[in-house]
Amino acid sequence: MSTEIEGSPGTSMHGVTGREPVLAFSVASPMVPTDKTAHFDLPVDSEHKAKKFKLFSFANPHMRTFHLSWISFFTCFVSTFAAAPLVPIIRDNLNLTKGDIGNAGVASVSGSIFSRLVMGAVCDLLGPRYGCAFLVMMTAPTVFCMSFVSSAGGYVAVRFMIGFSLATFVSCQYWMSTMFNSQIIGLVNGTAAGWGNMGGGATQLLMPLLFEIIKSAGATPFTAWRIAFFIPGWLHIIMGLLVLTLGQDLPDGNLSTLQKKGEVAKDQFGKVLWYAVTNYRTWIFVLLYGYSMGVELSTDNVIAEYFYDRFDLKLHTAGVIAATFGMANLLARPFGGFASDYMARHFGMRGRLWTLWTLQTMGGVFCILLGRATSLPVAIAHMIIFSIGAQAACGATFGVVPFISRRSLGIISGLTGAGGNFGSGLTQLLFFTNAKHSTGTGLSYMGIMIVACTLPVAFVHFPQWGSMFLPPSKGVVEEQYYIKEYSEDEREKNMHLGNIKFAENCRSERGNRVASVATPPHA
Amino acid sequence: MAILQRFLLASVFVSCLVATCYGGVSFKSLHPTLTVTATHKEGVLKAGLDNITVTWALDPSAPAGTDASYKTIKVKLCYAPVSQVDRGWRKTKDDLTKDKTCSHKIVAKPYIAGGAVATATWTVQRDVPTAKYFVRAYAHNASDMEVAYGQTTSTEKKTNLFDIEAVTGRHVSLDIASICFSAFSVVSLFGFFFLERRKTRIAEAK
Repeated sequence: MSTEIEGSPGTSMHGVTGREPVLAFSVASPMVPTDKTAHFDLPVDSEHKAKKFKLFSFANPHMRTFHLSWISFFTCFVSTFAAAPLVPIIRDNLNLTKGDIGNAGVASVSGSIFSRLVMGAVCDLLGPRYGCAFLVMMTAPTVFCMSFVSSAGGYVAVRFMIGFSLATFVSCQYWMSTMFNSQIIGLVNGTAAGWGNMGGGATQLLMPLLFEIIKSAGATPFTAWRIAFFIPGWLHIIMGLLVLTLGQDLPDGNLSTLQKKGEVAKDQFGKVLWYAVTNYRTWIFVLLYGYSMGVELSTDNVIAEYFYDRFDLKLHTAGVIAATFGMANLLARPFGGFASDYMARHFGMRGRLWTLWTLQTMGGVFCILLGRATSLPVAIAHMIIFSIGAQAACGATFGVVPFISRRSLGIISGLTGAGGNFGSGLTQLLFFTNAKHSTGTGLSYMGIMIVACTLPVAFVHFPQWGSMFLPPSKGVVEEQYYIKEYSEDEREKNMHLGNIKFAENCRSERGNRVASVATPPHA
Repeated sequence: MAILQRFLLASVFVSCLVATCYGGVSFKSLHPTLTVTATHKEGVLKAGLDNITVTWALDPSAPAGTDASYKTIKVKLCYAPVSQVDRGWRKTKDDLTKDKTCSHKIVAKPYIAGGAVATATWTVQRDVPTAKYFVRAYAHNASDMEVAYGQTTSTEKKTNLFDIEAVTGRHVSLDIASICFSAFSVVSLFGFFFLERRKTRIAEAK
């Protein structure tokens, strides 16, 4: 088991990747001793973190936290993308141009780049329970603000403010790392992230349905969409109150002990940042995630309008079709991670990289075809394959990220996540804001860009494992790569021991060659 | 893996089959044989409040027998070119099944031969957006295909345009409800926060 320096920068993000070496639904007792004196519904370790993940339980505190957390994240996705399926109505009400609609889409994903950075600090100060509740309840007024919007500027501003709520991703992952043992945190966090992302699909179904119901109750279209926004707003308030009343920061319910932990020796933020930023692989993955998660977010924003306009569908029909895109996250993202792990068993890191390239490129190709589709069934088929490709690529990305660095894992994961939002903003700005080309053309260009921006994965080379085309450098073993993160002085202080253990655990990334390369004796 | 490959190949193959659609009537093939007028109050019309009175009749100078196939007249509210700029969802296309210029239906009436002028009065609907408009009437035959048209503006669609102002969709009651719920959210959050802080302080003091 790798030792962690408590409170060091990035430890709260451990498990964010969902693909740490040991993934299981539970941890057996010899590996992590069970605390038999504790009276919890699930077996717990010495810190009272759960060792088992029981999906359909709501028991306090562990599983209850899981459900509160992912549903809050889901709610924020619902409200951030709530405007997207209603754009055909909103654009007539507010007299929007294509540029305005595109700018609003960019704004909706840009806000969270900053709010996610702040959220980490908020969770450290107030704890994840208040972090989540604060964010969800302070963004509720921004959702209600839609009833005041009467111009393009107002619309863009409100979507920007609602977008801040996507920082619940950070509180969600942080909160679960206080509740679940690090050996299973991977799967727990991965499931929560995927199910939260589903909100982007559910909203395409929910909002047109609400709109139709409110319209049939007598409201005119230009009022009905404003009333429809009250429902996501109420969901924010309800989830905030549930989190405050039912949630707790720690298994034992005590916030002050969480703050005491910060007094243990910390790693230096500057060093951790340096190793993240100077590793070229970090930036390749930032780019890659911008074209898997980024295109997923962009598509959430434009797909309903695309189907409505191109195929002359009714608003709620377009919404149902658009919803299938986001809802595929239920299975597609975990599938990507699973595919990465499966290929790693036979082909090691090379298998992971090829899996990532294949899934993401497949998504890109079908995105190109989606933009060019002229008949509805063909367009739907292409969209589904595109969604599976893009979302599985998200899962597969975090199949490789944990191996880039162990010391700077948190920051690299954070940068990768920010890259996703940034990629989304950039793509919407380039292809969906200009009236010169239609949404269909924009989708095709986006597909071409996906294929092009996935090519850099061929340049990711691990000296100990090789890359897509190159074999590993002769005689290099895992320890040599991970030792480099600590300077001579730090190694003398034995700060690198965790990395040695991690390197041992990583040998499976050699694939079938594990036995053939000799392991050196420990330094 | 083989099944996956076959599925992918099949998908690519299917996607290459471009479905043929029956092209609609071409607008360029239609003749402006109807004379259409639209009267309304001066200035900007308000959606939901003001009326437009439309009249249409066969052009007296049209040769006899032109209107033999006309069965229905559909009068529509159409966007002027200036309101179509940067808005691809209002684009004018020659294929009338794809054309989005005239998206708002005013009235549809059966065609009465004989050259008499038909009239209809229409209150501007509440879902009409703010834009510049003109009125166009299409004559449809028995198979509901367009066979002729007439419009209130010139061929370049630059003259005799009128403005409509949409309803805002906002209501005072909505605004008030919005403020109330927002205030509730913020107040209950800070209320909880300070209450809990006080409780822990009291507990620690003990």
